[in-house]
Amino acid sequence: MTLFSLFTNTHSDLFSDRKVIIEKHWHELIPRRVVDFFNDQVSRAMADGEDVTREDVLPIISSPKYQLINVYRDGLTYLSPVTKEVDPMMVFEFLHRIPDIMQEYFGQVSETVIKENFVTVYQLLEEMMDDGFPLTTEPNALKEIVPAPNILNKVITTMGATTSVSTRKMPHGMSNLPWRKAGVKYTSNEIFFDIVEEIDAIVDSTGKAVSCEAHGAIQTNSRLSGMPDLTLSFVNPRLVDDCSFHQSVRFNKWESDKVLSFVPPDGHFRLMSYRVNLPSQQNLPIQVKPSINIGANGAKFDITVSLRNTDGKPVENTVLTLPLHKSTTTLTAHCNVGQYMFDPVGKVLRWDIGKIVPRERAPVLSGSFGFGSSSEAAGNAGYNIGVEFLINSHSLSGLKVDVLKLFNESYKPYKGVRTMTKAGRYQVRA
Amino acid sequence: MDVFSKPKFFATSSKGENAELLAELNSEYRDRRKDAVKRVIANMTVGKDVSGLFPQVVKNMQTEDLEMKKLVYLYLMNYAKSNPDLVILAVNTFVKDTDHVNPLIRALAIRTMGCIRVDKILDHLSEPLRKCLNDDNPYVRKTAALCVAKLWDLDQERAIDNGFVTTLQDLISDSTPMVVANAVIALAEMQESSVNKDVFVVNVAVMNKMLAALNECNEWGQIAILTSLAEYRPLDSKEAESVCERVIPRLQHANGSVVLSAIRVLMIFLRYIRNDEFTKGLIKKMSPPLVSLLASAPEVQYVALRNINLILQKRPDILQNDVRVFFCKYNDPPYVKREKLEIIIRLCNDNNVDQILSELKEYASEVDVDFVRRAIRAIGRCAIIIDEASERCVNVLLDLINTKINYVVQEAIIVIKDIFRKYPQRYEAIIPTLCQNLDSLDEPEAKGSLIWIVGEYAERIENADELIENFLETFLEENSQVQLQLLTATVKLFLKKPSQSQEIVHRVLQTATQEIDNPDTRDRAYVYWRLLSTDPQAAKAVVLSEKPPISVDSSANNLSPALMDELINNISTLASVYHKPASAFMGNKAFSADAVRKAAVADARDEEQIIGEEAVASPTAPVAPKNALIDLLDLDFGSSEPAPATPVMSPPTSNKSGPNYSGDLFDMSSDMSSGGGSGVFGGMGGMGGMGGVGGMSGMGFQQNQNQNQSQTSTSRDAFGDLAGFGGFGQPAAGAAPSQQPPKPASSNTQSSTVNDLLDLF
Repeated sequence: MTLFSLFTNTHSDLFSDRKVIIEKHWHELIPRRVVDFFNDQVSRAMADGEDVTREDVLPIISSPKYQLINVYRDGLTYLSPVTKEVDPMMVFEFLHRIPDIMQEYFGQVSETVIKENFVTVYQLLEEMMDDGFPLTTEPNALKEIVPAPNILNKVITTMGATTSVSTRKMPHGMSNLPWRKAGVKYTSNEIFFDIVEEIDAIVDSTGKAVSCEAHGAIQTNSRLSGMPDLTLSFVNPRLVDDCSFHQSVRFNKWESDKVLSFVPPDGHFRLMSYRVNLPSQQNLPIQVKPSINIGANGAKFDITVSLRNTDGKPVENTVLTLPLHKSTTTLTAHCNVGQYMFDPVGKVLRWDIGKIVPRERAPVLSGSFGFGSSSEAAGNAGYNIGVEFLINSHSLSGLKVDVLKLFNESYKPYKGVRTMTKAGRYQVRA
Repeated sequence: MDVFSKPKFFATSSKGENAELLAELNSEYRDRRKDAVKRVIANMTVGKDVSGLFPQVVKNMQTEDLEMKKLVYLYLMNYAKSNPDLVILAVNTFVKDTDHVNPLIRALAIRTMGCIRVDKILDHLSEPLRKCLNDDNPYVRKTAALCVAKLWDLDQERAIDNGFVTTLQDLISDSTPMVVANAVIALAEMQESSVNKDVFVVNVAVMNKMLAALNECNEWGQIAILTSLAEYRPLDSKEAESVCERVIPRLQHANGSVVLSAIRVLMIFLRYIRNDEFTKGLIKKMSPPLVSLLASAPEVQYVALRNINLILQKRPDILQNDVRVFFCKYNDPPYVKREKLEIIIRLCNDNNVDQILSELKEYASEVDVDFVRRAIRAIGRCAIIIDEASERCVNVLLDLINTKINYVVQEAIIVIKDIFRKYPQRYEAIIPTLCQNLDSLDEPEAKGSLIWIVGEYAERIENADELIENFLETFLEENSQVQLQLLTATVKLFLKKPSQSQEIVHRVLQTATQEIDNPDTRDRAYVYWRLLSTDPQAAKAVVLSEKPPISVDSSANNLSPALMDELINNISTLASVYHKPASAFMGNKAFSADAVRKAAVADARDEEQIIGEEAVASPTAPVAPKNALIDLLDLDFGSSEPAPATPVMSPPTSNKSGPNYSGDLFDMSSDMSSGGGSGVFGGMGGMGGMGGVGGMSGMGFQQNQNQNQSQTSTSRDAFGDLAGFGGFGQPAAGAAPSQQPPKPASSNTQSSTVNDLLDLF
């Protein structure tokens, strides 16, 4: 289960300009030419077909000597070559943690950001793994050891003052509760829960859900003093089909009483994630009715969007994307709400609807597109519409928080709960 | 100076950068020294050689500034190897740091010392390490635990002699879970490379201590503990149950690796559980977390899907009601789609087949040609798995043929041929529809399939001879696979309708023997010729013999039980992703050879897999390992087959003398798709003397599948004619007369025609 080395390289869409930005070896040095080999394989895989993108390349590639385990995110490849049997799932989990942490530290992840903060990045990598074994990957714990770059720190460093702040403190791993430090103090105690549900769905052209599930997460921001012991209960916990918890949650309590009992870490953390299988007759909040009539040289289409089950709430940030066949050359359309855009290179039609208010007229986009050369494949290809939207103060699964109780501390915290439903991987077949 | 400006670490400066850095490193101002160290490290990361600054950088190691210290440590780890003599400069500071009042610094020092893989450091490591292993602070102890593994890696003897291994074993009883976890991590790592394999033996006591720490340590520690738990073999069902109870909560972890590691333990321990009720409950609990993994990043999904595929083969009752979650999104990466498709087929049953069929039909209209083909093949597999659904499948396939999209039509015809093999005489009504598409076929496999159908049903197709004639026009230009099919179909036609086709068969045999250089085609033509001229009854028995039915879900998609168990033991490893033992894909030759030797003793079948895989995969594997992977699946011979003694088989080489049957048959089969080589001689030799060939025809020939095509459950290229060869073997085994088809009435005329034919020669 050892992860040996990590190369992070940029990956532009063209086959040039792939350079190593970060190279970090935790056990022994792996020669850089492995990256050349890897890039070569990626280029070859991508040359396989015109539709093959970087995302389509296998995450585990064999080479005579190494197994090249790689993750591609935000235009960067995180490559870990291994020479012996490993747990690839663990490697992927770890590799994903790296951009997660960088996001947490720098607010965004890109080649430029990494270069500007390389000293912090290297320190983080050093703390995250020791000799191939993941060490500290909790953002809260890491921030204790490696200070995040902020104006104050920069002032201190530039002024030449000591950055001994962190040397005085004990790392998280040393307290009884590894996720919470002792002696936290706030003047106003507050805790916020954001319940965000994402709908993953495949909907057929008649509006029936072929598959449909909701993935929820309870993102928590805890600003509570001392050692608060919390119990959060739900009105309808049995809705949940599968769930996973933050380390702090007492699993037995959930098993027996279906309540979340925990001493929270300080700051932001994900308390719980859960999955709810939705029945296929589930009323989805939004209905997209596409009709595409394909002829030999092109097609006429119209797409109607209507609200169905939003509890009277408006649907916001609605965007529809319709990837067209690659032989498509022309498109004309008009819509009554929002605006549309046709990307003639990527062959994607994007319709930005924005906010849809219940009982207002339904947004319609209609028009036609033409194939440059008539081909039977183009004529028979299926179409899929990707749908994005979000609804505030709405939970598709219907999961509801009942009460939050606080033990072990005497103050009365301010409690806030927000819910939101979003489209996850939501697609409609035309 | 602008306080907020970012230091320009990557700024390219004039030639004397190192000289400039040298001066800065010696600066009397701490911040300038620190900036200089940062610049040194920046240069180091872009690959510039800054090792010349070693003494100056190391001088800055002695500081109370933790960040500075860490930066110097970073530099040291990078350059220690190239400057072993200079490392000594740092040793004193290291040793001093391991005595520092701040546990963070103690831990950091011991951690870094262990990472400097230089012998000179080792001499000074023992004392500080001993202290740190017994440190009051758990954070230091857990760091020191890993350091023992680092020392072991460089010098096992030193680690043992200093008692570090024993101390580490004691740490399993530590009161802090994280220390236990790290001790487990270190010991497991050492066990792997230990000679006597006695460093870390998981017994009841160790297991209980690990279980106690399991819930309290972090995710990575949990993975390590679960991985080690999988090594333990319970004494009885009760014990297995109690371990499972304690592992089940881990299924609720957000980290996919924890989940999969827990699944591995459960799958292994399930073997020992005799309590059906418990088993049922356990299987039910395993489904939701596996489904949840599919909401993760595509890479995680990929590993999850490969493992689910394995688990389903072992426990088909899992995930029974969850087929919908495996339906493909149009923007799933192709490698995820392929795996989902495999699982959809595995989950296909009477209740969900309609849902699955409409889904597969949907996929057949996607843009990705490879995926479309796989989807169509999957429809064929549905038909073969579920008898009642076969008609619906055929209807869907006919719909697809009506789209007239070339590759869809071809693939559908290939699939329909399999359905014909599974359900003979049930769907002949559609033959005319198939024949309408004759002109659009240009792929050998599709062409071969249609020709096979025509030959097989010659007596029911009125214009069979015309169709065959039509195909024969291009006989010489065809791919050898098509030539072989044509040859066999013509002979079948002749045996079924002798009056119409005497001239055709004569022409074909003559062309094949005189004008074709491909030894396969030529030799098969000779065989038929000889057969027809010597014993027409035998010819009938052989060529028209009853084909062994294609099995419901044959070896093409399933692993042998032995390999299966090995892979279940290795859930959540690369082996479980590739579906082959680690020795088959890891570059380390020594390891591989060793494993192959072991496999030879343990299971000859698996060994074949390894070697066969290497032969097939080595040139292409790096390009697309997934393809090689499927090949491997195909190489599986099923459990009923007697394992051939010699596992050497390099498909395209010729093997004329053919002392071993399996090798020859492989040659033959690979020839059918690749068109090279000349295995038939050997194959013939095999048939002459061996009765078991028939048994192989259904399984062994899986190998000849085109590499990147998804497998149906049938030996596709082998069709009926190879099955015919299989049949050929059977009479030779001694029961020839009794196996003749009972057609006394027609045999007279037939034999006379054959005699006429004979006269012609």
